[in-house]
Amino acid sequence: MSSTAPQIDYEKIKGVHKIPLEELYTSGHRTCQGCESATTMRGFIKVAGSRTVVTGATGCMYVANTSYLTTPWIVPWMHTQLGAGGSSAVGMAAGLRALKRKGKIKDEKINVINFSGDLGAGDMGIGGISAALQSDYDLLIIMYDNESAANTDIQATGLTTFGAQTTFTPPGTKHPIMQRRWKKNVAGMLAVGHPTCRYVATACATFPPTDYLNKVQKALAIGGPTFIHTYDPCPKGWDYHPRFSNELGELGIKCGIYPLYEIVDGNIIYTWDARKTGKGRIPVKEFLTKQGRFDHLQEEHFTHIQKMVDTMWDEWEMPGVAPIKGILKARV
Amino acid sequence: MSVAVAKAKSDQSGVYEREDLLNGCQAVAQGVCLADVDVIAAYPIRPYTEVMDALSKLIADGKFDAEYIIADSEHSQFEIVKHASSVNARAFGGSSGTGWMYGMEALVVTATDRLPPLFVVGNRALDDPGAFGVEHNDAMAVRDMGWLLCWVTTPQEALEHVLIGYRIAEDKKVRMPMGLAMDGAFLTHSQHMVKIPSPEAAKRFLPQYDLAERRLHPDNPISVAPQVNEDWVMELRRQNWEAAKRARGVIKEAYKEFNEVFGNRYSAPYYFDEFMTDDAEAVLIGVGTVAAPARTAARRLREKGQKVGYVNLRWFRPFPTVELRECLSRFKAVGVVDRDFAHGSPDNCGILMHEVRSCLYPAKNRPAIVNFMGGLGGRDLSIADAQKMYDITQQAAKKDSMDEFVTWIGLRE
Amino acid sequence: MIKRVEVNYRGIFQKNLGKKIGSDIVMIASRMGQRAFSNGRYSDSPERNGIPCKYFAFVSPDLSEEELEAECGAKLEIDEANISVVLDDTMCKGVEPWGWHGVRPINERVVKDGCLLVVSKKEHNDLLKFIGKKPYNYRLAILDGDASLAGLWVNKDDLTHEHILGGIAAIDPTLISIEAVESYLMDKTKQKHRAEAARAAYESLRQEAKPPRVKTVTPNDGIVWTHEIPVLPKWFEMQEGAVVPAVKRGFEMGPKGQSRNAMFKRGTTKTQRPAVRFDLCTKCTLCWVECPDECFDPTTDGFYDIEYQYCVGCGKCAEVCPVKECIVMVDELQFEDDHSPWEHWKKDSQEYITWVEEKKGKARVSYPFVTGKGITVTQGEVMPEGKIVPVRKTEEVEA
Repeated sequence: MSSTAPQIDYEKIKGVHKIPLEELYTSGHRTCQGCESATTMRGFIKVAGSRTVVTGATGCMYVANTSYLTTPWIVPWMHTQLGAGGSSAVGMAAGLRALKRKGKIKDEKINVINFSGDLGAGDMGIGGISAALQSDYDLLIIMYDNESAANTDIQATGLTTFGAQTTFTPPGTKHPIMQRRWKKNVAGMLAVGHPTCRYVATACATFPPTDYLNKVQKALAIGGPTFIHTYDPCPKGWDYHPRFSNELGELGIKCGIYPLYEIVDGNIIYTWDARKTGKGRIPVKEFLTKQGRFDHLQEEHFTHIQKMVDTMWDEWEMPGVAPIKGILKARV
Repeated sequence: MSVAVAKAKSDQSGVYEREDLLNGCQAVAQGVCLADVDVIAAYPIRPYTEVMDALSKLIADGKFDAEYIIADSEHSQFEIVKHASSVNARAFGGSSGTGWMYGMEALVVTATDRLPPLFVVGNRALDDPGAFGVEHNDAMAVRDMGWLLCWVTTPQEALEHVLIGYRIAEDKKVRMPMGLAMDGAFLTHSQHMVKIPSPEAAKRFLPQYDLAERRLHPDNPISVAPQVNEDWVMELRRQNWEAAKRARGVIKEAYKEFNEVFGNRYSAPYYFDEFMTDDAEAVLIGVGTVAAPARTAARRLREKGQKVGYVNLRWFRPFPTVELRECLSRFKAVGVVDRDFAHGSPDNCGILMHEVRSCLYPAKNRPAIVNFMGGLGGRDLSIADAQKMYDITQQAAKKDSMDEFVTWIGLRE
Repeated sequence: MIKRVEVNYRGIFQKNLGKKIGSDIVMIASRMGQRAFSNGRYSDSPERNGIPCKYFAFVSPDLSEEELEAECGAKLEIDEANISVVLDDTMCKGVEPWGWHGVRPINERVVKDGCLLVVSKKEHNDLLKFIGKKPYNYRLAILDGDASLAGLWVNKDDLTHEHILGGIAAIDPTLISIEAVESYLMDKTKQKHRAEAARAAYESLRQEAKPPRVKTVTPNDGIVWTHEIPVLPKWFEMQEGAVVPAVKRGFEMGPKGQSRNAMFKRGTTKTQRPAVRFDLCTKCTLCWVECPDECFDPTTDGFYDIEYQYCVGCGKCAEVCPVKECIVMVDELQFEDDHSPWEHWKKDSQEYITWVEEKKGKARVSYPFVTGKGITVTQGEVMPEGKIVPVRKTEEVEA
């Protein structure tokens, strides 16, 4: 069963040469060398443009993006609390809408964007984001997922990959791996749970090139509350040399551990089709062994992760999106 | 009650357009409506909930124009209010008891971001066990965070203090969040005839909210609250300290302006009201609805020749240190009524007791001071209870020293 | 008497190493009967890859634990150091850990007759080209070695830790003696080669060693430090509500055409910088697209200039560049200034190519995916002008 995706009226960036040149999040931030989340941050504001207000939830990209009395932001930006990503966006969108309606400010399109991490958006603030996605405000929530509480020097979150070393999940002599939770499926959960939300996507800042930027464009153009989950390799927590940030994102997508898709009005579009019928997948081991956080993994762990990824793509009714394997007949 | 008795001169000239039977919650809703609030975020918890019930109906009927958001938790509710306020929208929220505490993180940052939304707190005991009745620990939890905090005693005052509250909070010299506290049940759910100001009069009193150079808007590119290290926090705390100090002056200005528009509704020093204190020897001081039994008891004891009076403290933050010190040091004994607790604190007193006692320490004539813990968890404080408290306070005036400062009122023992 | 040791290290890359050195100084000094403790500079956390950080160790033969704590522990930064260890020599260009700190000279805390102990493959004069002048004599000691960069989880066990302990013992035997270092390492690890590594480093820094690795630096040595230390505003000079003015919007094509955060440049984060051969550039845009620090400036002729003051040297641009030898990461100490490479090239392309190839040299230091697993050095080649050799297929650049 297939359907055609509804047309979204947006300005597509056709190739990297067409990416807007001007920076609205500019040099001089306290991010790591090779920080992929900085690229994610830089990207969304580039395409959103200057008529935008942004909140940044507590997290490494809050603390990293500035130190006090300096800022890398050219557009208005405000801190919000760790679990307040969704509510900060609702508050701003509601305020702006009321002021416009009452004629207190000019009636123009002002983008409202919140940027929250996996700990903030995926764990603590998921209730607030759920509520935001039920609303009718025009807002975009971007969850930058570096798979850890990176700001407190790398602790496991609900989105940390199975087996990864963090300071909360150190390998030990009795327990070779302490991170035994499977990564929370936030984008899928939010898409499935909010039937009136028109746009949910997963993305990666630089792979495939322009894919993420166009997803931001679509999310802002389609109207209503929207959500994008970005996969942000983190040289600090994943323990790889900063120069490889781009490659790690690419490998994560190509091995299928991070499905890349968008859901537009209930239609799934794979923007990197890792199904066997599509582009297929490289072994997850090729991705995992390039990171120090998996250095302690044993063969059985690689096998387990591979099996879980294969199940996700080969057995789910909506591969990579929702863990529903089929409908069974009720036994009376 | 003095405020209710005084007939406003301009009453006849249409500043109050009608009268209606409203409980405290409904009165606050009327105030919010008159303040032309732009954004309201709701989340249910008894007893404040009815404020939002009333507002949602006003919106449903087209009598009030605001963005109305049903939040998913108090934390979200308060954050919505905070961020609406940051884009220069007048914003309103509220809560009670543990709900207020659930959103505490958001309440803290609203103050440190120096944003001026107004929150109503329908005072409620803290769990566990779950209890609905009044206790003041909820609202008082923000007392040291950079909040404005005041208690009202009637629905009329509740309505008017929404307007007065925004006027003070949004003042350029202040810009602090405003906590409007009212006792659960006794005020939130008690219906009285309330005079409702006309929108024109409300507008004349309350200027438009203007966060000016601090509003978040594409025309005013700023970064709000980037991470600080130890190089900056002292300076930021000092700014907030100064604002809280300046608020005392702005409160006076606001009441004077209110009186100009609405007739002489409130009298100096505004932060508190005195009742039968002129030649009093022993007085009680408290916040909230305990004022009614305390004033009634005072009146009756006066008839018996006892020189007692009551001080109703309206503004708890900023604390009216100078004025209250001057007032209370006139008496021989002061009894502080706490509808809250501070377990394990000095002399095991309540929060208000600590504040009042600390305020009196530098006074030349320090009165004897005793503390009453009463009405906790919504238990009533009766006229008889108030008479008992006056008795104990008067006895304290005769004593040279105290062994026990605290008396529990209404406890089964 | 208090002996203060500060360890300057690269955030995250040397976090474990820096802490290990500080901790072991305390353990060894304690075994010698002294009071000692260590801590990190609290403001450095959360650390960022590459950002200059500090770890401290304090030792006293005569003060009580509490007095030592009061003198050193109750402060977040020290005023003076008897020994400043520098785990990566590129920090000799100065350190700027956060905004409003300013770029500080690496020897800022070194006391008179104190010692700056640098791990480096360079000679004294190579380093003094970058180090600020001091009004008094101090010593500059060089321990032979590469910056030992690793990650949070996979450490590089290249004996740098043991070398530093041995080096400190040579500089001030009263702080920790070489015998105490050796016996501690033997007791702790039972591995003789660790004690031997410490001893070798100790020997290399002794007065008698040839060539001498410890030299006295006089007030004539070093450069005039031009970076100002910002004066922090008073409480009433700051905007209320924790509000900070945004960077003023501004963009035009060409060098420095993009407006940037003036109060925090953080170029001192880099250990390497990208050197570009514009004549090999295909204008694919990827260096600019991938840069997480917005330090590439598009030029009117379709190239990308680099604003090195803001470049943190991550190497992503070199990694994604599809052309052989077009962008190469080069040791930061090869460069005296941050001038615009594109302007240089436009001025005289032949001279620029000669200049940049000289800077690049032949050795290409590259890191494996997992930083701590050791560097490899390969031989680069000088590409003839305009000879474009593709090295990496870029996927779906044009969507």
